[in-house]
Amino acid sequence: MGTNYFNSLSLREQLEQLGECRFMHLDEFTDGVDALKGKKMVVIGCGAQGLNQGLNLRDSGLDVSYALREAAILEKRQSWKNATDNGFTVGTYEELIPTADIVLNLTPDKQHTAVVTAVMPMMKKGSCLSYSHGFNIVEEGMQVRDDITVIMVAPKCPGSEVRAEYVRGFGVPTLIAVHESNDPNGIGLTLAKAYAVGTGGHKAGVLMSSFVAEVKSDLMGEQTILCGMLQTGSLLCFDKMIEEGIDAGYAAKLIQYGWETVTEALKYGGVTNMMDRLSNPAKIRAFELAESMKDILRPLYHKHQDDIMTGHFSATMMADWANDDKELLGWRAETAETAFEKTAPGDVEISEQEYFDHGILMVAMVKAGVELAFETMTDAGIIADSAYYESLHETPLIANTIARKKLHEMNATISDTAEYGCYLYNHACVPLLADFMKPLKSDVIGKGLQLDDLGVDNARLIEVNAAIRYHPVEAIGSELRGYMADMKRIV
Amino acid sequence: MVAPVKIEVDQLSVDFDGRFQLHNISWRLGPDEHWLVAGPNGAGKSALAAVLSGVGEITRGSITGVPARVALVSYEAQALLIDAELKKDDADILDVISEGTPVAEIIDQGTVDKALAAELIEQFGLTPLLTRAFRKLSTGETRKVMLVRALASKPDLLLLDEPFDGLDTHTHAMLLQHLHEVVRTTPTVIVLNRIDERPDFVTHIAWVEAGTVAQCVACHDTSAMALLDQLLHLKLGKIALPDPDPIDRLPALHATEPLVQITNASVKYADNVVFDGLSWTINAGEHWQLTGPNGSGKTCLLSLITGDHPQCYVNDIQVFGFQRGNGESIWEIKQFIGYVSTQLQWEYRVGTSLRNVIVSGFYDSIGLYTKPNDTQLAIANEWLAVLGMQHRADESFTQLSHGDKRLLLIARAMVKHPPLLILDEPCLGLDDMNRRLVLALIERISASGNTTVLYVNHHTEDKVIGIERQLALG
Ligand SMILES: NC(=O)c1ccc[n+]([C@@H]2O[C@H](COP(=O)([O-])OP(=O)(O)OC[C@H]3O[C@@H](n4cnc5c(N)ncnc54)[C@H](OP(=O)(O)O)[C@@H]3O)[C@@H](O)[C@H]2O)c1
Repeated sequence: MGTNYFNSLSLREQLEQLGECRFMHLDEFTDGVDALKGKKMVVIGCGAQGLNQGLNLRDSGLDVSYALREAAILEKRQSWKNATDNGFTVGTYEELIPTADIVLNLTPDKQHTAVVTAVMPMMKKGSCLSYSHGFNIVEEGMQVRDDITVIMVAPKCPGSEVRAEYVRGFGVPTLIAVHESNDPNGIGLTLAKAYAVGTGGHKAGVLMSSFVAEVKSDLMGEQTILCGMLQTGSLLCFDKMIEEGIDAGYAAKLIQYGWETVTEALKYGGVTNMMDRLSNPAKIRAFELAESMKDILRPLYHKHQDDIMTGHFSATMMADWANDDKELLGWRAETAETAFEKTAPGDVEISEQEYFDHGILMVAMVKAGVELAFETMTDAGIIADSAYYESLHETPLIANTIARKKLHEMNATISDTAEYGCYLYNHACVPLLADFMKPLKSDVIGKGLQLDDLGVDNARLIEVNAAIRYHPVEAIGSELRGYMADMKRIV
Repeated sequence: MVAPVKIEVDQLSVDFDGRFQLHNISWRLGPDEHWLVAGPNGAGKSALAAVLSGVGEITRGSITGVPARVALVSYEAQALLIDAELKKDDADILDVISEGTPVAEIIDQGTVDKALAAELIEQFGLTPLLTRAFRKLSTGETRKVMLVRALASKPDLLLLDEPFDGLDTHTHAMLLQHLHEVVRTTPTVIVLNRIDERPDFVTHIAWVEAGTVAQCVACHDTSAMALLDQLLHLKLGKIALPDPDPIDRLPALHATEPLVQITNASVKYADNVVFDGLSWTINAGEHWQLTGPNGSGKTCLLSLITGDHPQCYVNDIQVFGFQRGNGESIWEIKQFIGYVSTQLQWEYRVGTSLRNVIVSGFYDSIGLYTKPNDTQLAIANEWLAVLGMQHRADESFTQLSHGDKRLLLIARAMVKHPPLLILDEPCLGLDDMNRRLVLALIERISASGNTTVLYVNHHTEDKVIGIERQLALG
């Protein structure tokens, strides 16, 4: 294992790379996939990203095949089935890697060191190695042969979305980067752009960033608001409702589908729109709950960001990798045993509006998490665009996975790294919020305020509205959603 | 009080001298009801009215409750009467040239209410013609005589087949006013080509299509009426299908090459074979129907053509001049195809305007991600007009009924005039009326030029006019 790449940089270089982020315009992609036409693209791994990116690239006219580890082929594992059922050529590393002009490493991050070490000697001189996440390069300091171009094309969505959006004729927002110490011919950016076009990403918006900025922001987002907060929120809200005597089936349903429903409002109009879905008194209540939570949780968000920056987080996780994932597997089993996971959603009708009205605390949790994650990232030098994608933008996508099959589905869909970080967050967050949760009643979760009089104080409402609207995540959010609307993105 | 007529027609089939058949008609005309019979030309509207007057030979089913005294005014009845008059001439053995039966006598033959007859003769301006031979009258004059005769006979059931045809506005208005009197006591059935010209006393509409009563609609049922209006608009509307975008045309295809050539194709999964050894050639201009039970691989076969099935890359498939798997992109293929299926409708959960949904057909996208140009918007508006939805262009697609969504998606598929239009069970999940709407649109498309239609249905018997070739799977 190499040394942490980020830590090897000078402060000036660290800040420079963290701050590298630019929203690219559609007219920067007029060359389409030309740079990759006729080139041999060999994907390693055929899981969530591998399969779906490969399908898109092939449908864009590119030559895609899969190199799987020998055992996967011999045992006809799911990855082998994915590739062959979809009519792709599958081969061993020995068969395919030497023919590749570009190798797409889409194996789990944990395997990257082993995989890259195995394939590097077989790679053609002057070929390209690409990643969809920079962990291996940044946190593990993987050293890649000098003649190889190293790029990243990271869709900011789960693999299933990558495919679904392409099929609709669109794409998902995508981050691209070139590893500056591995761009011997200066073609990294050209290749990354063509690759992004091949997956359809250019239609939804491409951020040109750096490996460092991608890793440090991606880790932060997934651990805190995206997965961690939703997990902690699910468990706390469910237990509170049970304590308050609410029907368990109703409670399970309100949470399982509630995240998806309330965060859908984020997609359209950010935190402001989500809060606007509440009645005025409920909005003020949610605002106050969120403010309290932000005060309680701010140190935790700072700690996560700090640990990510120093490499403490990745070192801890890698130690667990070395220890046969003891922590990860333990936490996973623990999650499966929680009351929320084990309670089936009831056969009750809950209207779209009711998810808001009865889920005030959930709305508050989303608001607190999104804002805290965004604030913490930008404070750490991450550019607002990037922080927006890694917090607010992805929240509804992760919420969708909970709607499918609760926390189990979320943790199965996200990467192992995200899952580890999520449990880590949850463990710290649950006790931190204990005192905050104690006095809460079913009016904020489960039953709604049930007020006869929806009157509020004008001055207070104006104050609350302003605080919501003028939060910096709202400014960048409306700008980036505006780019999408320019392209007539119709959700 | 309207005479309490209650006619029950039950699974009735009628033959008209082997020239025309009505089949399997079930229809109930209750008391206090006045019906309009409508439908496209040649559908059997007049035949249906004639049946109520006892014309035709019943080959199946039954009709009960028809009162004894029925009066029918129609071109056929008119022609019969003239024929009879001419025959009298031929039969005349005297060496005297017959003048034929005078108008007065023709009217008198059926008259029950003499005062009424006199009044009507005056109103219809027939007085100067009373002594003329009936067979010497012009068509318009004969028609007036028929009307007066029918009305003065005070029937228990009045059947009027295109009664306003050929009448000047004054006479039209006069007749209409008189009918308002008549319907107070006499149940009336009117056959009209144009539903929008129906008199306001009409309470029900029987929609006749292909020799049967396809649909009965009560006029107070506004939503059913709206559908019927739309159907009429599609069936009888004179609006031509809009042209494609004149500037941004599809690349030209090789004239003699088949659109699709699939050779010995198979689709297999690790543990199951969908089909094997399948070959199929679709030439331009050959409309096809693809049938087969559920699970026989119809949709799978189609998706090999559209490129949505990943195994299109491992089969020998030639589409629109591309041999698949040679570096073509899926969008290069899709541009030549219009596609509609229940699946697409399900996936098209997009809260955008009806106009945008149609425009998205130019880009083969679900939702619209590119700013459309003015021509495209104008073409979309024209399509909305064909569908009779021009006033709804800005409504949200998600709010539409099932049937309207399907129509809109067909327009979306057609907007670029694709060489190949694939309709995968386009009527699935639609009620009768909406099915009819969709089929009417498909018929217009398949009759109108350069698009080859591939129609998928699991019922072999559910045919679309104009689609002759059939491939049956499974
Ligand atoms: N999931 C997301 O939302 C997401 C989003 C953006 C980027 N990414 C990034 O995309 C990459 C792939 O993630 P993923 O979620 O697609 O992973 P995944 O679904 O777990 O798939 C991993 C694939 O790699 C294969 N594999 C596992 N261990 C291997 C080894 N030692 N050697 C060779 N192949 C191995 C697996 O097949 P076998 O076990 O059958 O060999 C499987 O097909 C990661 O870098 C991740 O950070 C993920």
